[in-house]
Amino acid sequence: MKLYRTWKVKPYVLVLPALLLAVVFAYRPFVITILNSFHTVNLGGVRMQFVGVENYQRLFASESFQASLSNTLRFTLFFVPTNITICLSAALLSNREGKLATLNQIFFFLPMAVGLSSAMMIIKMMFNPSIGIINHLIGADIQWFNDPKAAMALLVIAGVYLDIGFNFLLLSAALRNVPKELVEVANLEGAGKMSIFRYLQLPLIAPTLVFVLMTNIKDAMLISSPVLILTEGGPFRSTQTLVYQMYLEGFKSGNYAMGSAIATVVFLLTFTILLSLLHLERRRVYYQ
Amino acid sequence: MKKLVALSATLFSLVIFFPIFYSLSASFFTYTDFTSIPARLFSSAPTFENYRRAFTESKLERFLLNSLITASLGTIVRMTISVLAAYTFSFFSFKGRDVLFVLVVATMLLPSDALLIANYSTIRSLRLTDSYLGIIATSLLAPTHIFMLRQYFKTVSPEYREAAILEGCSDTRFLTTLLIPISKAVVITLAIHSFSTIFNDYLWPLLVTNREAMRTVQVALTMLGFSENLDYGPQFAAITLLMTPILIAFVVMHKPIQTSVSTRFTGR
Repeated sequence: MKLYRTWKVKPYVLVLPALLLAVVFAYRPFVITILNSFHTVNLGGVRMQFVGVENYQRLFASESFQASLSNTLRFTLFFVPTNITICLSAALLSNREGKLATLNQIFFFLPMAVGLSSAMMIIKMMFNPSIGIINHLIGADIQWFNDPKAAMALLVIAGVYLDIGFNFLLLSAALRNVPKELVEVANLEGAGKMSIFRYLQLPLIAPTLVFVLMTNIKDAMLISSPVLILTEGGPFRSTQTLVYQMYLEGFKSGNYAMGSAIATVVFLLTFTILLSLLHLERRRVYYQ
Repeated sequence: MKKLVALSATLFSLVIFFPIFYSLSASFFTYTDFTSIPARLFSSAPTFENYRRAFTESKLERFLLNSLITASLGTIVRMTISVLAAYTFSFFSFKGRDVLFVLVVATMLLPSDALLIANYSTIRSLRLTDSYLGIIATSLLAPTHIFMLRQYFKTVSPEYREAAILEGCSDTRFLTTLLIPISKAVVITLAIHSFSTIFNDYLWPLLVTNREAMRTVQVALTMLGFSENLDYGPQFAAITLLMTPILIAFVVMHKPIQTSVSTRFTGR
């Protein structure tokens, strides 16, 4: 009898910590965020009064939010193609044999070993307009932190640097899994590098590429820490992104309701993107 | 053609490697090396002065200790929770199992950045701000880990466990002497991943720590005050010190790292 009971309770006890964490740090805050976005919330984080969609109306009417939304979309639009091109070229170029190729590969994924804040501080100092090495090396006087266009470019560079290590590993692993015999046969048949890539390697690495694309878009929509360390949203809000504004509203202005409304918009955006990409993957990507 | 590919790959990889190289090199710069024209790539008179100042003019060792404690503690708790959950979901049959599994794994879809404000309120009402537990709280659940461990455990036939239990083996013993040893590779990879994720986390530890003594090193690194004064030497020294052990580990383990990714994400 006792054995029977322990058998019954045990699995629930074993998964309880995971479930508890899922409820406390994922589902409950998710629900609270959505609820807060329809209320006024005081500085103690207590919901005061139901206000319907008023927070959203104020949000979408505010210039600050419009800037965040358009900056986030602009960043995503610049970052994702740049990042994928760079990571894929790195993977293609170093997809060779020999010691030099191994060294190339190590250099490509090593940025992964540098933590986010270290990497951002290095970039911040290297791109300092007056004493940073980048302007010295390229012999230009680019105001990386004061010119809106340059600041956005800097953010894209920072994003690529943060992502290249892992994306490179994924893509080069996928390329290595393309059967060598196939490539050799295509070579013998006189196929050029471009057509080998287009008709042989690309279809075979497509699943990985879609995965990279999906995570890239999601990460780009959520970018905040690099903004916080590098530009603090400036100059003139030109690099203020959604999650960064959420952070400002929630933690600098104590405006929980607005912060929650922005968070809800972020949820919606990421869900839409993830779902549409999953749909795309099911329809277009074929495994051999 | 072959040479051209090798050459461009090498140049390209040097560009990517440059920030790491520059940080290492600049940590030995003298104060004037940063402003010399043309720009320097190597120190004019290599010195450890920057390293000395990084330690004496900030609480670097305290920040490092905080990071090591939170990352180790977080990894141990996170791996324990993940292994237990994955084990239960793959070897037990009980009412609601699949629903509960989906409930845990679906948290992957909720971006933690968008939950920051609400999670911060929770931590504050639990009075866990400025505590190690507060720093690791939101990292303890790893749905991807549970998912991947379960995929792996599923390859072990449940009959093994049934036989072992019939022979009087406890679940604990089955886990520690059989299941974990045979899934060593996955468990170690995930543990390393956990450690570096928690160690490198930035925004959350920034939010839940107010007292300087509780800061993790990644947070503290952005507040050392050197770079604001354009005093880059000690800042580069602190960064270099922090990344060097991990860089060495990556270079030494480059083969296993590359193969682990290829087996984890491309099916085989």
